[in-house]
Amino acid sequence: MAAALLAPDAAGQAMGEELFSGAHAGAVGLRVHRNTVLGALANALRLAFPAVDRLVGEDYFDRMAVEYARARPPLAPQLDEYGRDFPEFIAAFPGTGSLPYLLELAQFEWLFADLARCRAEPGFGGPAVSLDAGVRLQFITPLRLHAARYPVAALRDAIMADDAAALGAIDLQPRDQHLALWRTERGVAVRTLSDASARFLAAVYAGRDAAGALAAASEGAEQPGAAPGEVFLAQLLAQEILPAGFVHVTAAHGG
Amino acid sequence: MSPGSPVHPIPARAGIGLRLPHHALVLAERPAAAWLEVHPENYMSDAHSLAELERMRAHYPLSLHAVGLSLGSAAGVDAAHIARLRRLVERLEPALVSDHLSWSIAGGTYLPDLLPLPYTEEALQAVCRNVTQVQDALGCQILVENPSTYLKFAASAIPEAEFLAAVAQRSGCGVLLDVNNIYVSASNQRLDAADVLREWCHALDARAVGELHLAGHAVVATSSGESLRIDDHGDHVCEAVWALYAQALAHFGAKPTLLEWDTRLPAFSVLQSEAALAQARLDSAQQQSYARAV
Repeated sequence: MAAALLAPDAAGQAMGEELFSGAHAGAVGLRVHRNTVLGALANALRLAFPAVDRLVGEDYFDRMAVEYARARPPLAPQLDEYGRDFPEFIAAFPGTGSLPYLLELAQFEWLFADLARCRAEPGFGGPAVSLDAGVRLQFITPLRLHAARYPVAALRDAIMADDAAALGAIDLQPRDQHLALWRTERGVAVRTLSDASARFLAAVYAGRDAAGALAAASEGAEQPGAAPGEVFLAQLLAQEILPAGFVHVTAAHGG
Repeated sequence: MSPGSPVHPIPARAGIGLRLPHHALVLAERPAAAWLEVHPENYMSDAHSLAELERMRAHYPLSLHAVGLSLGSAAGVDAAHIARLRRLVERLEPALVSDHLSWSIAGGTYLPDLLPLPYTEEALQAVCRNVTQVQDALGCQILVENPSTYLKFAASAIPEAEFLAAVAQRSGCGVLLDVNNIYVSASNQRLDAADVLREWCHALDARAVGELHLAGHAVVATSSGESLRIDDHGDHVCEAVWALYAQALAHFGAKPTLLEWDTRLPAFSVLQSEAALAQARLDSAQQQSYARAV
């Protein structure tokens, strides 16, 4: 019966009517169960990829979701973990070639949904680095760093706000984008980062100290006038890291 | 679950099925509800929602109504899923744990539906094995619910009510009697629902019935123009199901009764209103029972 419920064609969907004896034909009951299974899987994907759903439209999304469900049905009952490779699937789906950013948008949505299921840890609770002058930076957890070529955060915001004007104003020229996503009590926060900030954070979350994180941030960074490392770090912190909301500054000893 | 009485036992009153969109309101306003029931599969990977449920658990008795144990699987139940459920049971200490007389896992694939099984002696033994394995792993009794059916297998040799009664007798599980499912299944098989409920009343030991479910359903037309009732949990309880519920209460007595509403989810206040309708019937049944006793 499982195969009959997932089969895409009439021949595969059929089961011998001699197997059934109810008031309705077996095909009627099978259709009910098929609709329930495919509908539930499409809805689970819709919850994980709401911006993709709005972008391509409900009918088109359902077509993609049903084909995905038939090809890659879930392995476990926790449907909020279903759809990890849906982005790659829809990027190769017929008709999506006109949306070159679709893959990255869906990948961003998956990361967003995954973070939304995380519990916001009280008191930040992530890695900490100590700076000179007795300053300690306490970073938040969970936080994820994400790289993309398209402005996926702006795209998602505009789509979810149903703001056609904002959507139309987004520059879709591919260029390197770095994003930080983190869980707060109110939901998932997102911030665009420079390449240097992204490198700095990656190093911090990999367990490196302030000097190591600064060295990572400086790799390949353009430094007109070759500003000293301390100045570069101060600029990075003041302009990007500290205002972002995912770091808490304390004195290194106490408080 | 801790042996002995749970901290918050489920009363023989009308409870409400809690769904994720209502979390914020329940946390903020703590609306009146005798007890809450959730699908544990929604909390197994969602630490944020689980943390919210733990906060609510402090104020409401809780029931876990699973949909993924696949108790009807001939190949057995999934030990990993049982372990996930056990962790939730230990953490939340629900007063009731339940799942369905159905299957949903085959060949490593999970199908999100409660799929029917033929009611044969072979299937009965498989279900009893699975239920026993789950109860042993959880350390508590579970309730098994009668599903809504759209198919009847020619190989079924045991009437559904007798089948579930036998599962309860042999495994020690309880029964979650879904009155809406009885109505939907009877209607789809062109049977009189009241007659079908009488079969359930005859087959089941009233002490084995640990919970009743009520819900709404949809009526659709098949391609041949016949009507079919779909257990979509997306509407008010209809008058025919209320009448069946009264019949069930008259026989089984007052039981914890849950209002299910899963699709086209209305405001929480609507669920409270539906629960109040069930509570009125519970109160009436208890009064009649008291009157008979004196």
